[in-house]
Amino acid sequence: MSDTAFPGWLLLILAGGLTGAWMLRRSWNLRQGSTGWRLGGWALLTATLVWPAFILGPAKGPFLALALIPVAALALVAASHELRAAKSPKAARESLAPEPADRPTTRWRTTLRWLLAGPIGMVAAMGVGICYAVWVPGEAQTRLLIGGLIVPVVWGACMAWTLADSRIVRATAVLLGTALVGFGLSILKGFA
Amino acid sequence: MNAPTSSRSWTPSPDFVRAVLKGHSGLGLAFAAAIYLVCLTGTLAVFANEFHRWENPGAPRMASVSDAAVQTAYQAAMRQAGDGVEHVYITIPSPQLPWLMVTADKGGELSAFLATENGELAGPAADSWTEFLTRLHVNLHLPRTIGLFIVGLTGVALLSSLISGILAHPRIFRDAFHLRLGGSRRLQEADLHNRIGVWALPFHVIVSLTGALLGLQLLIVGVLGLALFKGDTDKVYDLFLPPHPVDDARPAPALDLGPMFAQIRSKVPDGRVSYVFIEHPTEMGGAALFNVDARPDRLSAVDAYTFDRTGKLYYAKTVDDTNLGERILGALGPLHFGTFGGGLLKIVYGILGLGLSYLAVGGVLIWLARRRDKGRPAPGWEKVWTAVTWGQPLALAAAALAAVVAPAVTVSVLIGIWGGLTIATVAGARAFDRLTLSRLGRGLTGGLLVLTAILHIALHGSGDPMALVVNAVLLATGLGLVAPVWKGMRQPA
Repeated sequence: MSDTAFPGWLLLILAGGLTGAWMLRRSWNLRQGSTGWRLGGWALLTATLVWPAFILGPAKGPFLALALIPVAALALVAASHELRAAKSPKAARESLAPEPADRPTTRWRTTLRWLLAGPIGMVAAMGVGICYAVWVPGEAQTRLLIGGLIVPVVWGACMAWTLADSRIVRATAVLLGTALVGFGLSILKGFA
Repeated sequence: MNAPTSSRSWTPSPDFVRAVLKGHSGLGLAFAAAIYLVCLTGTLAVFANEFHRWENPGAPRMASVSDAAVQTAYQAAMRQAGDGVEHVYITIPSPQLPWLMVTADKGGELSAFLATENGELAGPAADSWTEFLTRLHVNLHLPRTIGLFIVGLTGVALLSSLISGILAHPRIFRDAFHLRLGGSRRLQEADLHNRIGVWALPFHVIVSLTGALLGLQLLIVGVLGLALFKGDTDKVYDLFLPPHPVDDARPAPALDLGPMFAQIRSKVPDGRVSYVFIEHPTEMGGAALFNVDARPDRLSAVDAYTFDRTGKLYYAKTVDDTNLGERILGALGPLHFGTFGGGLLKIVYGILGLGLSYLAVGGVLIWLARRRDKGRPAPGWEKVWTAVTWGQPLALAAAALAAVVAPAVTVSVLIGIWGGLTIATVAGARAFDRLTLSRLGRGLTGGLLVLTAILHIALHGSGDPMALVVNAVLLATGLGLVAPVWKGMRQPA
């Protein structure tokens, strides 16, 4: 891969992303006979994600595509926006997205919910990440790095779950149990 | 929370959607301002090298430099900095930063010098704006441990919002091409929020995950050390970093890089030395670490070679020798800041970063519009959020202007300007109606950007084409913000 060809490859990824998104949009617009466009669009987007791996680098190529394809698709969405006449808030109440649940709560439940989403979720996520690093075979650096990556993912999932789940005692039990099991198993084996 | 149930396996129940939406909304509101600030400064920090060049338009530029010139420059910087230099960082010219720059670290106090092609010092390097901006993104100018943790926590909250956002919007993929502007405010904001959210999802996941890990690194390493190495966190770092040189504090002449460069040229003839880090340059226990860009097809493209004072190579790690974990570690920075694909990728990261910042802004706007639609408007919060939304660009623009007018200004002064304006905009929000606040924010930000570009050209000239590009972008953005405000003011009420 030469330096002069590099921008050309990036433009080709953008073109692939734009064409793939356009095919999906065409399928989205059609009431009948949309399957071909949909399959073709997904096939082109997948190909645009895969071919850079062979030319621009096995990891670098797909990651470049993961950044460039969204921009091409968003440009298409922006270009095909629909302009509507302004509506009063009253008139706009129809056909709106679902409303968030309006659940009864108390101060201690709210406090516990945020404790679960914050520090308790973090400790549980640490337990899972460290347990992975300790128990899964492989190079020490790889286990630690993947264990480290697991921490924000599990913590984020814990946040999403505990802030949504109305059965707060169940969430507390699961997170505390996860933390205890994760750290317990890790200390039991130790890092080698 | 009820489990997802429906006649079709992919459609969650309305109760599930409403419960997740409740969590998504609560988390978004709690972290909106932090996510917005971190994402906005992160978007600008993608262009840190470009801003650094903009701050030093008169710096001597070069495509490459001789090994002897590097040695001359580093010794001159040592003399200039005086006794007691503990570390020296040498930036070798590259397409992104075509300079020879030497930074001397004396007890934590950094002095950066630019050098000519011959290694003669050309003067100090200005970096207050770039330093202010990047540190604001990395640790919010708080003590490092606390600041990094808060930014990491913000990354986790963003990641969690992405998870709950996808679960809370079962039609998000089916509506992927809907963008209805100008009708109901809530529908418009929801369409913008959901389209940006879904199409740029891979980017959002990449930057929030890498950012969360980078931010939480101290905590994670601390807990790993505590749980697995009896509290010795150094053992975790030792797995990833080159070994330290043997400690020997006896004085010695400045370390000679020449023989080390020669060895690297013979080992990696096609590689390009991008960075040299010298530890204890005037001690017998001195050492030098060389980073060599050897594999442009890799995200983690750098080979590392470490020499002791005698020129003996005591540690070498090439990209091909690294395992998966080391490659992931090396890829975190490039993936987070978009430094692995040249200028075009940086522009793409800039666009997607602005989109991510808008996700935070739009999420709160949807909540405010929902309240208004339900007959429970929150005019106070509408004003505060408008002040936050436009106060940050205004405060950042004011800090940039100060750095242009007084290049020697310290980062602390810029923090004061940014912090003062942040507080003033939020505190003063109640004095204006929402529309006036929005117009004031846009108009003042735009005006400051235009003024910054004009003063930069007038005071510093345009020796570096990159400075011209940055000024052109500032001018265009400034005029783009001012024009609609000006047009709105001229229209009869």
